Amino acid sequence: MAEILVYGAVISAIYAMLAVGFTLIFGVARILNLAHGSFYALGAYGVYALTADAHLPLFLAAPVAVLLVALFGVAVERVLVRPLRRSTLAVLMITLAVALMVEQVLLLIFGSEARNVPSMVNATFHVMGADVSGQRLLALSGAIVILSGLWFFMQRTRLGSAILAISQDAEAAQYMGIPSDRIYSLVMGLSAGIAAAAGVLVAPFQTVIPGMGLLPLVKAFAIVVVGGLGSIVGSIVGALLLGYTETIIAFKISIEWSQIVSVAAVLITLILRPAGFFGKRAAF
Amino acid sequence: MSALLAVDGLNKRFGGLQAVKDVSFALEAGSITGMLGPNGAGKTTLFNLLTGFIAADTGKVEFDGGPLLGLAPYRIVNRGLARTFQLTRPFLGMSVLENVEVACFAPRVRHEGHARARARAMLEHVGLAPKAASLVDVLPYGDLRRLEIARALATRPKLLLLDEPFAGLGTSEIQPLADLIRELHRKEGLTILIIEHKLRELMQLAHEVIAMDFGEVVATGVPAEIVRHPRVVEAYIGKAEIGESGGALGAA
Amino acid sequence: MSIHRTDWLGALVVLAALALVPAILGSTYVTGIMTVALCFAMWAASWDFMSGLTGRENFGHSLFIGAGAYTAGFLNVNFGASPWWSLAASPLVAVAFSLVIGFPTLRLRGPYFALAMLSGAAVMQSLTIIFSEYTGGQDGLNGLFPFFDSELAQYYLTLFFLAATVATLRLVANSPWGTILRAIRGDEASCQAAGINVTFYKIASLMISAAFAGLGGALYAHYQLQVGPDLFAIILSINIIIMVYVGGMGSIYGPVGGAILLILLTEALRAFSEYRLWVYTLILMLILFFLPQGLVAPLWRRLRTIVQ
Repeated sequence: MAEILVYGAVISAIYAMLAVGFTLIFGVARILNLAHGSFYALGAYGVYALTADAHLPLFLAAPVAVLLVALFGVAVERVLVRPLRRSTLAVLMITLAVALMVEQVLLLIFGSEARNVPSMVNATFHVMGADVSGQRLLALSGAIVILSGLWFFMQRTRLGSAILAISQDAEAAQYMGIPSDRIYSLVMGLSAGIAAAAGVLVAPFQTVIPGMGLLPLVKAFAIVVVGGLGSIVGSIVGALLLGYTETIIAFKISIEWSQIVSVAAVLITLILRPAGFFGKRAAF
Repeated sequence: MSALLAVDGLNKRFGGLQAVKDVSFALEAGSITGMLGPNGAGKTTLFNLLTGFIAADTGKVEFDGGPLLGLAPYRIVNRGLARTFQLTRPFLGMSVLENVEVACFAPRVRHEGHARARARAMLEHVGLAPKAASLVDVLPYGDLRRLEIARALATRPKLLLLDEPFAGLGTSEIQPLADLIRELHRKEGLTILIIEHKLRELMQLAHEVIAMDFGEVVATGVPAEIVRHPRVVEAYIGKAEIGESGGALGAA
Repeated sequence: MSIHRTDWLGALVVLAALALVPAILGSTYVTGIMTVALCFAMWAASWDFMSGLTGRENFGHSLFIGAGAYTAGFLNVNFGASPWWSLAASPLVAVAFSLVIGFPTLRLRGPYFALAMLSGAAVMQSLTIIFSEYTGGQDGLNGLFPFFDSELAQYYLTLFFLAATVATLRLVANSPWGTILRAIRGDEASCQAAGINVTFYKIASLMISAAFAGLGGALYAHYQLQVGPDLFAIILSINIIIMVYVGGMGSIYGPVGGAILLILLTEALRAFSEYRLWVYTLILMLILFFLPQGLVAPLWRRLRTIVQ
């Protein structure tokens, strides 16, 4: 029981990071970013490459990896997505192409064997009667810190308000002189950075393979749909729902059934409440 | 004395706003009625209620001998009630002719066959025949208005609802359109309900005018009476509609 | 969107080429690849009919493919029915699936509809793996029978059905149906205002799309002689969309060309199997940036104006 509570929390926290980044770029720029999972994977591989190959100390490699991926995200938006913005399908396809490309590149460079990333915290802790690795607790706390930071940024800074304004009414925001194009790039970078941070935090205890980004992408999708595309609160609530449901089912029934939860949740939500439970924009 | 359209106690609320409040009126077959009122008076909402795009809270609507509320928009069209939109919504990427052709496939008129020929005839009616093959994407505003009317006519309606047909038109385009509407009424015997701000055109065309404000019907009568009606004057002058109402009210 | 006489001529030329080339080459290897290519062509054409015309992109087309393929598998392996039954049953089952998923999802806007269809296919894939006692799980169903022992005969059967599919879909696309579907793409509210029952046409076009996809699924199943959960995979739906992109959306025949081209390309790159996905992705990116109208359809249109 305690295990479910703790493990559920860790998984939910990671899911929340992925979902929030995903919903951010959709809510603001209307981009359904199929490459979101790639940023996550790149974060993990980034910290691996920087420590194993470049021999950077872990506490340095982590933020550097996140920064690099964030810049990559900005580049993708600027170079590949912006020219195609008029067609949602084209944007979908180009982000898909990026996702496929990244997976292929990772496969080429690092091969298909799982990579080992050293833990930042080696100790095991005893929380509420359950044994949890320090790394998992670090992931949980890291997620909370990052998401709180994001909330603070969105609510309390001028840039944050500009982003919120665009997400509500892009045209009006433009009339007010807010440079939407540049903000889209920024948000993409932010979204990529958060996803990469998630990748960095879980790399020590998740399987690091080139295709590691696909499943998280699907989960992020699912959460965002349930929580409402464009709603950050919805993503967090959705992440908790999905994370805990998956953990409970995995512990009580089987792992296979737990995987179906996310997709089934998407389908059911779209049928019953297409805007999601906190969504601002109706789906029809 | 049979009313083609009888509206009884129609209500619609959006959250805290009562958009349409207890609206009742009747339209005689073969009449042209104008609907007047400042922005936000509930006129377009009323249209949307009558044409099935929004569901009413309470009320009754009888059209051509049968109830109208609760039917899907396409079904209402097939009963003989057609409308145009305030912001024209053509089928982009298709030609002018094809845009009208679609309406010729409506169940109400499908059996007549020869859709292409009928569509062309509609375009002739509204004066768009020379542009039949052009893509709608490049059509000027005035022509788009005519296209909307042609599309509505293609379904052979008994009642035609026109939502601000003159909005955004330049002076040279307004008169021909007004003439077209008058001619359609004359030749086809169409019953017409027009929402319009431009008082002068409305006065010319309408036999009777229904004035609305804050979602309610505040006055009905012939144009000459309506423009003098205190509630109407208040609604317009009170909302400071510069230029138009002052001139037109004075002219009427 | 009318069919010119030159179109018929072009179609006949292509049909003749498709019929003669494998026979002349006489290699079972080539015939086999072409059979697969034709199945993909049926899937691409059927996708294009609904999504290409109405603009409602369906990201779960594999749902219908898998449904058709597994129907063939069940009938043939579990019930010992002759493969010919699959040709009737698979489309019907696929249509049933389209009704179940179509009703609740077709009212959703663009990306949400795409997402819902994608989820539907993914759910089906997971269910297929979970209920392995009925479906064979990850391994699927094996031991299906082919229609003919001759690979060439099987190929011609597939070619026949592809031709029938494209002809039917083109004819429907050129009828009032096509105009209405394109109008739905333009503006659904205006369609309603024109007296058209939009829901009916959306569902019906999805059903038609599903029927031909299911048919292709049956033909594929009886060629590969096995069916697996991969037939419900998202990547299959995406590959088909890429083929339609390459071919040119909305033309029906373009996607056929796109499918054949990409399958042949995939085979040609078999030697460089690690770079295959690279090439696919690169092609996709090139098409998105430089050839948004696709390759095949615009090429044919240019050719046609030269000939006329």
